Amino acid sequence: MRPILLQGHERSLTQIKYNREGDLLFSVSKDHVVNAWFSHNGERLGTYEGHIGAVWTVDVNSTTTLLVSGSADNTAKLWDVSNGKCLKSWEFNTAVRRVQFSEDDKMILLVTEPRMGFPATLQIFNVENGATETVSSEPLTVIHPEGPKITVAAWGALNKYIVAGRENGSVALIDPKTGDCISTNKVHEATITDLQMSADRTYFITSSKDKSAKIIESEFLEVLKTYTTDTPLNSAAIMPKVQEFVVVGGGQEAMDVTRTSSRQGKFECRFWHKILEEEVGRVRGHFGPINTIAIHPDGRSFASGGEDGYVRVHHFDDDFFSFKFQI
Amino acid sequence: MPVSATNWADEVDGEDQPQSFTDANGITTTIEYKTNDDGKKVKVTRRTQKKLIHDVVNKAVAARKKWAKFGKEKGNRPGPDPATTNVGDNIKLKLSSTGQITQDVDEKHEAMKQQLQNKKILCRICKGDHFTTKCPYKDSLGMDDAAAPAGTAAAAEEAAPEEQQGGSKYIAPHMRAGASGSKPSDSMREKRDEQPTLRVTNLSEDVTEGDVSELFKRFGHISRVFLARDRETNACKGFAFVSFTMREDAQRALEAIDGRGYDNLILRVEWAK
Repeated sequence: MRPILLQGHERSLTQIKYNREGDLLFSVSKDHVVNAWFSHNGERLGTYEGHIGAVWTVDVNSTTTLLVSGSADNTAKLWDVSNGKCLKSWEFNTAVRRVQFSEDDKMILLVTEPRMGFPATLQIFNVENGATETVSSEPLTVIHPEGPKITVAAWGALNKYIVAGRENGSVALIDPKTGDCISTNKVHEATITDLQMSADRTYFITSSKDKSAKIIESEFLEVLKTYTTDTPLNSAAIMPKVQEFVVVGGGQEAMDVTRTSSRQGKFECRFWHKILEEEVGRVRGHFGPINTIAIHPDGRSFASGGEDGYVRVHHFDDDFFSFKFQI
Repeated sequence: MPVSATNWADEVDGEDQPQSFTDANGITTTIEYKTNDDGKKVKVTRRTQKKLIHDVVNKAVAARKKWAKFGKEKGNRPGPDPATTNVGDNIKLKLSSTGQITQDVDEKHEAMKQQLQNKKILCRICKGDHFTTKCPYKDSLGMDDAAAPAGTAAAAEEAAPEEQQGGSKYIAPHMRAGASGSKPSDSMREKRDEQPTLRVTNLSEDVTEGDVSELFKRFGHISRVFLARDRETNACKGFAFVSFTMREDAQRALEAIDGRGYDNLILRVEWAK
């Protein structure tokens, strides 16, 4: 396969995300810009400009009308996907590390960092009529979670709970209404770097700096599968169709990169068999650690964004679809 | 191909007009005539087949494809912009069931191997099938003069690939192949002591290092040949030292060559002390 290289960023990528149909790919990086790309040919649809700090996170709703981004300039912005207009900007005390639309598109979840004496918060905003009316500046709920810093968070099925990943490697279920921590489980040894839900949100995959990725069931936080690699992981994604694979990526810490060759850096996307926990293949190409991985909803392509500032969109070859794992 | 004009009338009426017809398989053949740069008339036949591919896409996806570009892309033409979108090198995703992921070989190295598959690579030092710079004996065995004339053709051939592979490992200038400087003698002495070395005596005056190595190399790998030469005349003084890498090879050489005639003299081979 010949990857499509997207060079719309000048600094390292922080998150990439496909929309529900997978025709658009959104990428954010530390260079303040949000880019929208057509995933089939890599054509850039446009840019969303307005942030004045590194953009940490992005999410798009299921109808591809609204886009939300969270940045280190202490704001989160709501955008009109089709024309790049900023519809709303929320101000916070600290940087926004994670944003996500709820399953019904009515709410967004934001994770703010603890910094300068301000505690970490999980905030939920109503964006139900975001495309037509002005949305409220006031959050529906503000949660002050206790315990170690929350690095990643995602909505659980039917918005019944929020799944959060912490700096100490534990995952927690949080009630979005009351803010109570329902249960917690320390699954990783080091900070959790990514958390992506399965299509039906009954399980999710986490990646961690402890060099492993885990599939965790989202009701009791029981670890179902473990994929142990030889490098710190920054992202993990579940392939929704075609093959029962998960894709994990990472690499040596960015600060150590200049001291070793790209081969030793292990900057590869690794494909693991989801059920059998066997590594099946690798895709190399980045010359920096992989920060984020997203898989096309139809499972025919995937994209990875690296510390090197590139997004690489890979469309699988025919033999990928006919591959059968031999036991 | 140039067309021989049979009739000037035909030429004007029929042949200059482009013809086009479609056969049963839907292949359209177009025949055109034009004058090329040399002033010759050329017949151009084109066979084309049109295929209409229907693709069903989501309505929303189709609508999004028509969206006008915005932000930094505002006003740009449709289609990927080479400034932001490029196609990378082909990457093979090799899926394996064994759980053992074969470390993919360096692509450049692989490409070079392919390129040189049909070329014969000959090391100028040990006559092995690797580059001279990659010779494992280049430290212990210098470039022998006699091999140079034979190796010039090969050297020219190698020159380009050698440059390509440069940079993979640093080699000090005086250690590089083709360097005229002599090797540091202390390291030579060190190596000489531990290697099985034969002393060959009763050589004729015309013998060169090349001749000696030619004589002994059939028994095994020679790491060094030293031929004593007269300072002024540069002629052979009649004895030489030959170092082998393997003691067994040296033993066999000693048994075979000792007492053999060479250049109307009878050679004497013994272990060097």
